Amino acid sequence: MNSRNLLWRDLLVLFGLSGWALALPAHASEFAVSMALTCLMYVALSSSWGFFCGTSRYLSLATSAFFGIGAYTTAVMLGELSWFGVIALGAGLATLVAVVMGLAVLHLRGTYFAVLTFGMAELIRHAISYFEKSVSGTVGRVLATVPEMGTIYHTVLLLAVLAVALSIGLRRTRFGLALLGIGGDEQRAQTLGVNTRLVKVAGFAFTAAIAGGVGAAMAVRWTYIDPHTAFNPFIGFQTVLIALIGGAMTVWGPLIAAIVFSVLAETLRLQAPQIYMMTLGILLILCVLYLPGGLASLRWQTFKAWWQDSRSWWKARRYEWSGDKARDKRKARENRIVGL
Amino acid sequence: MSFSAWLELLASGLITGGIYALVALGLNLQYGLMRILNIAHGEFLMVGAYLTWMVQTQFGLSPLWMIPLSFALLMLLGLAIHWLCFRRLTATSPNLDVFEARGLMVAFGLMFLIQNAVSAIWGGELRGYDYMTDPVAMGGAQFAANKLLVFFMALLFSLALMVLLRKTLLGKGVRALMQSPAGAQLVGINTRTLHPLMFGIGLGLSGLAGCLLSMAYTISPAMGEPYTVTALIVITLGGFGSMGGALAGGLLLGVIEAIGMHFTNPSLKALLSYVVFIGVLLFRPKGLFAK
Repeated sequence: MNSRNLLWRDLLVLFGLSGWALALPAHASEFAVSMALTCLMYVALSSSWGFFCGTSRYLSLATSAFFGIGAYTTAVMLGELSWFGVIALGAGLATLVAVVMGLAVLHLRGTYFAVLTFGMAELIRHAISYFEKSVSGTVGRVLATVPEMGTIYHTVLLLAVLAVALSIGLRRTRFGLALLGIGGDEQRAQTLGVNTRLVKVAGFAFTAAIAGGVGAAMAVRWTYIDPHTAFNPFIGFQTVLIALIGGAMTVWGPLIAAIVFSVLAETLRLQAPQIYMMTLGILLILCVLYLPGGLASLRWQTFKAWWQDSRSWWKARRYEWSGDKARDKRKARENRIVGL
Repeated sequence: MSFSAWLELLASGLITGGIYALVALGLNLQYGLMRILNIAHGEFLMVGAYLTWMVQTQFGLSPLWMIPLSFALLMLLGLAIHWLCFRRLTATSPNLDVFEARGLMVAFGLMFLIQNAVSAIWGGELRGYDYMTDPVAMGGAQFAANKLLVFFMALLFSLALMVLLRKTLLGKGVRALMQSPAGAQLVGINTRTLHPLMFGIGLGLSGLAGCLLSMAYTISPAMGEPYTVTALIVITLGGFGSMGGALAGGLLLGVIEAIGMHFTNPSLKALLSYVVFIGVLLFRPKGLFAK
């Protein structure tokens, strides 16, 4: 399959999936719709995260900040602007913050970047909760008039489709290739004439815009918003986990992982939240250790390789424990002495 | 402000700073030597605190006995974790950048796992016990005896670690590995024994810090995260990999927080430490004391 065929295949799959998601509310129960909504939220968040952070290998932990900025915009402006105005404003504000943040920190690589974005996200959270407490005199805000479930669902669906479609489309443009080049070897990309600073800031802003829009749309699901729910760092962590477990470099990995995780979350989280989080931790560790390319890199050969690995491990243990190894060693030593 | 009030303020800053330094030293050892940014470091501190609390309330044993015990237990746990996770990670990662990113992810997984395992076993509520709560007067100011003890212990163990690194052959090997991994291996320093050992000692130190903390403060499953963040701030202040820098940075951050909180407002504490953190990372990414 050449590149054009792949593009058509991806777009067709996306079209089919979005049609299916569009038809879902008419048939499914309220619980299933709410589960699908969470699922779509993580699809949008982790696809957009993977588009920038997966390809360029800049590990950003600031998603919760952008999500929170969007959510807080809704909390403050919902009465005054139209629904789409609120979402556009949320996405716009998040983009603005991302551009400023990106200009300040995108020259740092690796762990420095990850830690710094996490620090910035926490700084924004603490600053807003301090501002609310001391200037506005509230600890949170109540959302009185919220739009219908259908509107929210369609908005989040639109954002998710947008995120996946853009990440399919942009991947093939100069911009996407430049991001990939930065991930491979940033200095070489620079030497070949890529304006790395501009490309990185643009990619970071794209991630932030989607996260801000999703935050603005999802905020109305909580009727009460305070900085600690809106800027919950767990949303950011889970986005990163989903993208990594699914395979951050791919288009479909984050989507598959988002579906798996939402189902897991909704079934386990209410009954046994601690077990859910422990499962998450174990899955993450196992995935990093044994499947570094993510779920999307899972092939028939992977299972075969695991099977062979475990068999050769077991063979080596048996050789050791049965005493054969010690005997062979002794024999070799005796032969050496005889040879003298 | 009178002299004794200043003294009290400075001393309370130094007391929290001593704990910060001890936690940061363990993290710094792991990051400086192996490039493992152990986000779960605070969780191991919490495990140490819970172990001490459990032994103290169940068997009535003095928490002082738990200092060597929690160090040893956490060190064993560290060896096991290194053997299970990081050994394979080192073997499969193509280069150090990839190893660093993957190590960070494994540490995130460990953080979720341990924090929730502890809250599943012991529940989420605040816990604590009384130990040496009488105040002690010193130079016109009053301090709680347990906090003073915690401070001196933290300082003692931090200095002990630094002496170990500076004076012994083992420490020489560790410092050589920090300066140049390839060069150290060429002169015959074995990373296969030194890496797990130092990872274990790092976790042991965090267990020890948790044991000390439980003497003076209440404990909960969520207590670890703020300490991880503070330790990160401290090692950026002092410079990644620098032990003396981490000690000085820890004490400095404690004093900055105490003075800042006194003159502004206690709810600004977290905000203040993040401002210091981001300021240092942006303007002096090599640490405050780098030449």
